[in-house]
Amino acid sequence: MPSASIIIPTRNRPQSLRRAVESARAAGNDVEIIVVDDASADETASVCRSLAGIKYIRLDRNQGTAGARNVGILASSGEFIAFLDDDDLRLPGSLDLQIAKLAATPDAGFVCGAMLLADQDYNLTGEISAPSPVSGDVFWQLLELDFPVMPLSVVIRKECFLRVGLLNRHLRGIDDWDILVRLAELFSVVTMNEPVGIYRQPEPNSGQGSSAQSEQLARAARHQLQLFDLPRVRALPKSERKAIRRRTLYRVADTLLLNAWRRLPEKEFAFAVANIATVMRLHPLRVMRPAVIRTIAKTISNGFNAGKVATTNSSSGATGLKTPIA
Amino acid sequence: MPLTSIIITTHNRPQLLPRAVESAFASGANAEVIVVDDASTDETAAVCRELSGIKYVRVERNQRVAGARNLGVLVSNGEYLTFLDDDDLRVPGSLDAQVKRLAANPEAGLVYGQAVLVNQSGKATTRFYPNDCPEGDVFWQLLGRNFIPCGSAVFRRSCLDRVGLLDHVLAGIDDWDLWIRIAELYPIVALPEPVLHWRQSTPSSQQGTSQAAAIVSQSVRQFRQIWERLPRAANSPEIQQAWRRFSANMGAHLSTEVLRSLRHRRLAQATKNLFALVNLGPSVWFRLLRVNDAYSPL
Repeated sequence: MPSASIIIPTRNRPQSLRRAVESARAAGNDVEIIVVDDASADETASVCRSLAGIKYIRLDRNQGTAGARNVGILASSGEFIAFLDDDDLRLPGSLDLQIAKLAATPDAGFVCGAMLLADQDYNLTGEISAPSPVSGDVFWQLLELDFPVMPLSVVIRKECFLRVGLLNRHLRGIDDWDILVRLAELFSVVTMNEPVGIYRQPEPNSGQGSSAQSEQLARAARHQLQLFDLPRVRALPKSERKAIRRRTLYRVADTLLLNAWRRLPEKEFAFAVANIATVMRLHPLRVMRPAVIRTIAKTISNGFNAGKVATTNSSSGATGLKTPIA
Repeated sequence: MPLTSIIITTHNRPQLLPRAVESAFASGANAEVIVVDDASTDETAAVCRELSGIKYVRVERNQRVAGARNLGVLVSNGEYLTFLDDDDLRVPGSLDAQVKRLAANPEAGLVYGQAVLVNQSGKATTRFYPNDCPEGDVFWQLLGRNFIPCGSAVFRRSCLDRVGLLDHVLAGIDDWDLWIRIAELYPIVALPEPVLHWRQSTPSSQQGTSQAAAIVSQSVRQFRQIWERLPRAANSPEIQQAWRRFSANMGAHLSTEVLRSLRHRRLAQATKNLFALVNLGPSVWFRLLRVNDAYSPL
């Protein structure tokens, strides 16, 4: 029985898939690679047939990333589960490293490492996204979107799914955050600083990647109310629940505003307006703070050279969602 | 005989569970019985420790029926899978007979059988469901009504690799949804004899039919948003006909529920069901008169 299974959901991206599979193979000594083809309509199936030593599952009906990951978990025989997107890479030996850490901490539900950031052509940007140095009970940080972590950098103990349930396939783009919160509610978490994967950023300099991220953040902020049903949150006094909610909305709002502001030099006004509109829905007062208005005014008077002006809006932007923000 | 996993999900019903487990063991020679305890808050765990030979999974956070069934699938080893509710009973030997039928039809994905309707006090009636057992390509019929009682269905594990798992947010129709997705791709076979004792809910039992209005509106949503968009349904003229059968059956189901809730003096429930019926629209009201194969509870 292999000790770990790497689950790679894929859909219509055969050219990057091969690289992801090769990196998964080198990630550990005793690893089972499961490619879940989420109803691809192209040559993904024939590309997978040419890859030796993988377990190939072909879904005939599209299930979405989370649904495909669930089917992968179902087919896996490893004791530990890692997810890998078809356009990201695992670093050699990284899985063994993480498994050793997780195995040494029997009460931990998952372990997360750092990620190297790369552009669309797999060139490293030199940036590293490290998890926050806190180990142990990180439930509250995760719930407040104050714990940057992504599925790429995580290895999960499979039996923990039996305690909290599988991934929620109705949460597009935030199913990973949701499951990690639910796991962290019951299990402790191990963090490590070593990089374990290469995350290919979605078009870092176009509005597309950032607008997807903005959507995800807004969706996460809304979904948080459902996570408030978890027993550990319900046990809190109402004032503390409100405080969590307020901090989260501030954090999300600040990240969205910061993103909008960063896009201004490229004159992506539609994106900025959409972000500000989202923030208005989440927390209207956050837009009207003097600091924000000052920054916007300064940006406009500088002829939209905002990116070159030092920010007064000191948002950490450290959310647990895709596209980690420096 | 290939291994079959019987997945029993349970939540706070320790008094009924042991009988269900016992019936599961007696239904097949090579069966693995998995009990998924969906975050029960009573002595269910202790009762399960007394049951020998079962695989017990304790879920800490309630997943509702479909989510718990998925976890049962996750720990199962069987080549064939079947679900059993904690208040239903399998007929002795029924699983072996069904597995034999499925094994003899290698292209089929699922075999089902008839259910004997049982009232709330546990007494079996002389009524079976379904009366006729359609076989073969039943995709269009299945869109019209769910004639596969959940506990009677035995399906190949390999089906899930093609159509995905149960949809955990669906309450009460998660099984129907899965059968439709399986029937879209596989022929279905039936064993036209009773395989299951199926306990029926009443308007006061807080389950199943007491939620009729909610289940119907959820089914309508599922039909419009998912089922009629399945690749086989999307570009087919037959979908209109399927919708007519489906909505008429929903209407018939609601009208019996209205009468039943009135008989049980549950006025609020009767009103809710009546509203749901009105909501289906006038074209459905007129078709009600011609429905003859609808599932009607006791």
